[in-house]
Amino acid sequence: KLNIGVDIIEHGVEGLVYLLTESSKLMISEVDFQDSIHVLGFSDELNKSLLQLYLDNRKEIRSILGELAPRLPSYHSLEWRLDVQLASRSLRQQIKPAVTMKLHLNQNEDQTAQVLQTDPATLLHLIQQLEQALGEMKMNHCRRIVRNMK
Amino acid sequence: ILDDPDLKDIDPTVLKHCHAAAATCILEAGKQKADISAISTCLEDCKLDKERIEQFCTEYQHRELVSVVSFSIGRSPLHITDVSWRLEYQIKNSQLHKTYQPSYLVTLNVENSDSGSHPDVSFSCTMEQLQDLVGKLKDAAKSLERATQV
Repeated sequence: KLNIGVDIIEHGVEGLVYLLTESSKLMISEVDFQDSIHVLGFSDELNKSLLQLYLDNRKEIRSILGELAPRLPSYHSLEWRLDVQLASRSLRQQIKPAVTMKLHLNQNEDQTAQVLQTDPATLLHLIQQLEQALGEMKMNHCRRIVRNMK
Repeated sequence: ILDDPDLKDIDPTVLKHCHAAAATCILEAGKQKADISAISTCLEDCKLDKERIEQFCTEYQHRELVSVVSFSIGRSPLHITDVSWRLEYQIKNSQLHKTYQPSYLVTLNVENSDSGSHPDVSFSCTMEQLQDLVGKLKDAAKSLERATQV
């Protein structure tokens, strides 16, 4: 329909893709974007369209790029259950409480589930440690860094 | 036992059989949580004389260590022994700059009932996900508390 060769269109699309992904990756401001494309010598109207295209799609492009970054398995959810062991092959008449958990993790689009168990004392210890971890974000040190890094 | 000077006159095979028999007896009695009268009755049926039965029972009273060992033998899912965490603030990665995202890296130290060592379970999570996890663990702890009061 456009009466141009396939190669030229391919290069055009590639160029556009590169422009948008690099701009989104670096999260450059409007002014910087305009300055950058000004060098290319396009018409003002075209520059405006490109800028609008950038601003409209920036968020989505960034979220897609975010998926590509190296990642560790991430938390999905946790199921738990209370068990009491009453007997085993080596000992009868026990009362041994335990908490059995199923930890669901995401790794590169696969979901894995791991069955784990712990005793009441360790459970309380886990809770205490992780609450301390959560508290760290609210500490002045972290707040200062988050403020200054932006 | 084989090196004991008092026993050197006895055939080692017989000695081994006696030792094995005594050990089995103690383990079985411990497994069933048998009390002294039950053991005495059992030994009487085996035609052991009173003095020997009394000696055996006295030694049996010192069986706490055996109970502890029996208590811990047995298969179970991976057992959590400890947790460690790390709070990081991501600034950029190879795919995306200016990410400015705090995240937690949580490692659960686990023990295998069989081999004793197992790679730890590690995962990353956001603050909200960690809050979800801690919330669920606290629910489990509350249920445990309620169960013990019943």
